[in-house]
Amino acid sequence: MQISETGQTQGGCPIDHNAISLADATMADPVLRAHPNAYYEALRREDPVHFDDKLNMWLVSRYEDVVTVLRDPITFSDKLGYEAMYASGYFEEFKQILDRDGGGFFPDVIKDDPPAHTRVRRLLEKAFTAHRVATLEPAITETIVGFIEKLADRAQDGTVVDGVNDFAVPLTISVICEQLGIGQFNAEKIQRWSGAVTAQISKMQDREAMIENAKLICELQHFIIQEMKDREANPREDMISDLVHAKTDDGGTLTFAEAVSLVRAMIIAGNDTTATAIGNLLFVLATQPEVAETLRASVDDERALNRFVEELLRLEPPVRGLAKMTIEEVELGGTKLPKHAHVLVLYASGNDDETKFECPRHFDHTRRNIAQHVAFGVGVHRCVGASLARMEIKVAACEIIKRWDNIKLAIPVEELTYLPTVATRSLERLPMTLSRRA
Amino acid sequence: MKVTFVQLDGVEKTIEAVEGETLMEIARDNGVDGILGDCGGSCSCATCHVYVDEPWQATVGKPDDVEEMALEMVYDVMQENSRLCCQIQLNAETDGIRVKVAPGEY
Repeated sequence: MQISETGQTQGGCPIDHNAISLADATMADPVLRAHPNAYYEALRREDPVHFDDKLNMWLVSRYEDVVTVLRDPITFSDKLGYEAMYASGYFEEFKQILDRDGGGFFPDVIKDDPPAHTRVRRLLEKAFTAHRVATLEPAITETIVGFIEKLADRAQDGTVVDGVNDFAVPLTISVICEQLGIGQFNAEKIQRWSGAVTAQISKMQDREAMIENAKLICELQHFIIQEMKDREANPREDMISDLVHAKTDDGGTLTFAEAVSLVRAMIIAGNDTTATAIGNLLFVLATQPEVAETLRASVDDERALNRFVEELLRLEPPVRGLAKMTIEEVELGGTKLPKHAHVLVLYASGNDDETKFECPRHFDHTRRNIAQHVAFGVGVHRCVGASLARMEIKVAACEIIKRWDNIKLAIPVEELTYLPTVATRSLERLPMTLSRRA
Repeated sequence: MKVTFVQLDGVEKTIEAVEGETLMEIARDNGVDGILGDCGGSCSCATCHVYVDEPWQATVGKPDDVEEMALEMVYDVMQENSRLCCQIQLNAETDGIRVKVAPGEY
């Protein structure tokens, strides 16, 4: 399938597509996933709750329906949706490998449904308040500036650097490891572990990849368990100690399995989506000079910087779609969904809905309803680390534009590739050139 | 202690509450329409936006810098007396406080 991405406008608004037929399109197609906005638009217009038979899932594409699903976590179960997605097609074998070689299979407690979810959620919320995140900003700024300067050194004399693997990924891994209190770490290893975990909700993993990823997750879990044992004996001022010794609102503690799953979730969620967002930031700066100009004009205006980050998240949300499952027959957006319908909630399409956001493909950090995007989700499963992610992206944006100039792609935009997953839209690499700002 | 929420539909809910709870927790636990509190009180989602009634404004004071930034998310309906009610804790001074639920789109 061919989708052109440039040059067209409709009523003055940029659009990135030609007409597309739903009949022969599927989210299982990597070309479509790389440039999905034409498909999202066709879904919203023609069949907003659409059954993708290759994916065997219902795609929810309109803003209003996305919010309806997320606001009703009982009818649309996160737990069942996630379980049906996890290691899709090979779950039993996957679980056996982890039980045998990985210290156990530890279900993700954050993907539980209320009320069980609420107990753990309250605990995590305390770690990520906006006020606590504000106190972390000076130290995190120092870390980020270090990465920015290092990449500027490497990019001297026009050397091509990789904005994803040389910058966004190691930067976010460094920040989350600092928070968790992991002093010694191998960033490349954590990146591989992270990829192995997120592949479980990709829907695009074959058996060979599953076995390879399961091995990596076994390694990750042994690493986590060792860190936890250390904090049990020697508690410190860090998030792993907090989780190991946490008391829930009901006066209880987390089980060992719950704590392992939470540390794992913090490592993965703390770097994967934020790294994708920072990769997207670089992509936008390299391809839309007027957006770079807007950012440059905003560096001394905290309010404008925050709006810049929100609009970046709306325009290029890291999370594309996450799964839910209906617990009974229900009508959604005019379509009757059967009981146990597996639903893919397309956050990225909600953010792109022209009935909600005028000229949705246009970067406009002054738009009225800027913060109503659903990049962090809505409702009880809304991203608990949103404040930290926002701050990391804001600091990266601000410090990059102060220090770098002439940010350009080093390959044609059509040659950029994305990770094979329906869950996120993440650049695999971003070859680019840049210079130091004079 | 008491707190009164005026919902968007005009219905007033006066709720008996305990010192130390935040207005968001009180509203959420008692089903006040329009107070969602998605982020659980961590001042990062702006889904518990209220307008504080005039007599109580001096008592609760102005939002701090962090709350001000979160309020930016609802700036289209922001007023002089806007607060995120997860940041207002009930105490002897705020016993009896009355707030209006601000309109939101979720």
